[in-house]
Amino acid sequence: MSFLFQCIVLALFTWIAFIDKYCTQMYTYRPVVAGAIVGLIMGDFSIGLEVGCIIELMFLGQVFVGTALPPEETFSTILAAAFACVSGSTEVALATAIPIAILGQMGMYLRNIVLCTWTGHRLEAAVERMDRKGITMNCLILPNIFNLILFAVPVFLAVYFGADLVQSIIDFIPDVIINGIAAAGGLIGAVGLAMLLKSINFKGLWYFFALGFFVASYLGVNSIGCTLLAAICVAITYQSDKRAEALAAGGDVQ
Amino acid sequence: MTQTATNKLTKSDIRKLFWYSQGFVSGFNYEKEEAPGFVFSMMPVIEKVYDNDEDKKEAYRRHTEMFLTEAHLSHLVIGITAAMEEQNSYDEDFDPDSINAIKTALMGPFAGVGDSLYHGTLRPLVAGFAVSMITASHYTSALGSILFVLIMGGVGQIIRYLGITKGYEQGMSLVATLQSSGIIQKLTKYAGIVACVVIGGWIPSLVWLSIPWSYTAGETVISLQSTLDSMMPNMLPLCLTLLCYKLLDKKMSPVVLMILLMIAGVILYALGILA
Repeated sequence: MSFLFQCIVLALFTWIAFIDKYCTQMYTYRPVVAGAIVGLIMGDFSIGLEVGCIIELMFLGQVFVGTALPPEETFSTILAAAFACVSGSTEVALATAIPIAILGQMGMYLRNIVLCTWTGHRLEAAVERMDRKGITMNCLILPNIFNLILFAVPVFLAVYFGADLVQSIIDFIPDVIINGIAAAGGLIGAVGLAMLLKSINFKGLWYFFALGFFVASYLGVNSIGCTLLAAICVAITYQSDKRAEALAAGGDVQ
Repeated sequence: MTQTATNKLTKSDIRKLFWYSQGFVSGFNYEKEEAPGFVFSMMPVIEKVYDNDEDKKEAYRRHTEMFLTEAHLSHLVIGITAAMEEQNSYDEDFDPDSINAIKTALMGPFAGVGDSLYHGTLRPLVAGFAVSMITASHYTSALGSILFVLIMGGVGQIIRYLGITKGYEQGMSLVATLQSSGIIQKLTKYAGIVACVVIGGWIPSLVWLSIPWSYTAGETVISLQSTLDSMMPNMLPLCLTLLCYKLLDKKMSPVVLMILLMIAGVILYALGILA
C-alpha cells in the first residue's frame, strides 16, 4: 500500500468512527478498538494495539456527564497511533496523545456551539415549512459532514504531510525524556482510576475498594475474579438492604 | 375521533422508529442538546399517526424543545413518547402538553443511572478486561478489542431495542412504575459497589511504578522496592491513585493532572528515582 493510499483509508476510518460515535455507538471509536484498526491500516498492528491500550487507560475514567466535553479520545488515538506506527515508537504516542486530545476537544466545541447550533436553527425553519428533506438534512446529514471536515480531513493532512516532521522531532528529543515518558505511562493509569472513583460514591463505599485492592495485590486475583467477588458483595448488600427494609416495615426478620 | 387502523403503529413502524433513532445524537448542540435527534427519531411515528399537516407540524415543533439524557436509556423515552403521540392522535381528552412534561421528568433520573451504570461502570470494566487481555498477549492479539465491541455495542443496541419496544408497549404506566419503585437509586448503589471492588483490583495491573534505589548493608544488598513489597505489595500505586483522587476532589482538572504526572515522570526518571 502506498503511503497516500494508507492516509486516505485512515481518514475514511476516522469518518466512520465519528459516524459510529454519533449514530450507532458500536464503540469502534474507543482507543482500544481504534488503535488496533489504525495499526492494521498503517502496517504495524502491534504498535497500534499498544497505543490503543495506553490511551484507553488514560481515558478509562472519562465519563460523559451532561454537557461537559472531555478531551477527544478518538481523534487523539487515531493521530497518535498513526504517528507511532510511522516512527516505530510508542513513546511518541504518549507524548502527543494529550495535546491532540485537547485540539480535538476544541473541534468538538466548534461543532456543538457553532455548527450544530446553526443546523438546529435550520431544522426549526424546516419544521415550519414542513420540509421533511430539510429535517433529515439538518438532523443527520450535515452534522456528519461536519465530522468529516473537522476530524477526518485534518487526520489525512496531519499524517500525510506531518509524518516526516514528527519523525525529525522525535530524533531530536534526548533518550532520557523518551524513557522518562515511558516510565510516566505507568503513572497515568492512576488518573483514570481516580476519575472513575470520583464518578461513583467512593466515600461511602471505600471498604469495597480496599477489598478489591487487597485480594488483587496480596492474592493475585485477576480482574475476572474481582468481578465475581463484586457480584458476591452486591448479593450481600442486597440481602442486608432487604432485611433493613423489612425491619423498617415492622415485619419479622427470618 | 376514535382510533382507526391508519393511526395505529404497527410492528414495522416500531422497527422503523428503531432505525431512525440510531441517528439520535447526530445533531447534538449546546442550545437544544439532543432535540434534533429527537425530531429525527420521531419522524416515522409523527408521519404515521397524524392525518393532516397542521397536527404533524405541531408534533414536530414539540420535539424541537430541549432534551438531554443518556444516549441509550433515551430510547426508552422515545418508545414512551411514541405511545403518547399515538394516543394524542385519537384521544380528544389527552393533553399534548403532558408529552413534553413526561419527557422532561425522565431526563434527570435516566441521565443519572445511564451515566453511572453504562459509562461509569460497564464501559471501563469491559475496557479494563480488553486491555488486560491484549497486554497478556504481548500486543499480538486483538481479541480483547473484538470482545469490547461485541459486548459494549451489543448491550447498547439491546438497551435501545428493548427501550423502544417496551417503552411503546407499556407507555405511561411504565413511568409510574419507575418513579414509585425506587429501582433507579438501588441500581446506582449496586453499580457503585461493583465499580469499587473492580477498581481496587485493577491497581496492581494498571498502575506501575517502582523505585530502583538500593543500599548495601554489610554483605547484603537491600532494595527499597522489595522492602516496600514485603510490607504491602503495590503500596506505591495505591498511594498514587488515592493522591490523584484527592487532587481531583480538590477540583484539579484531570488533563492538568495527567500533564503534571508526565512531567514528574520525566524528572524522577532523570534523577534515577523512578524505573
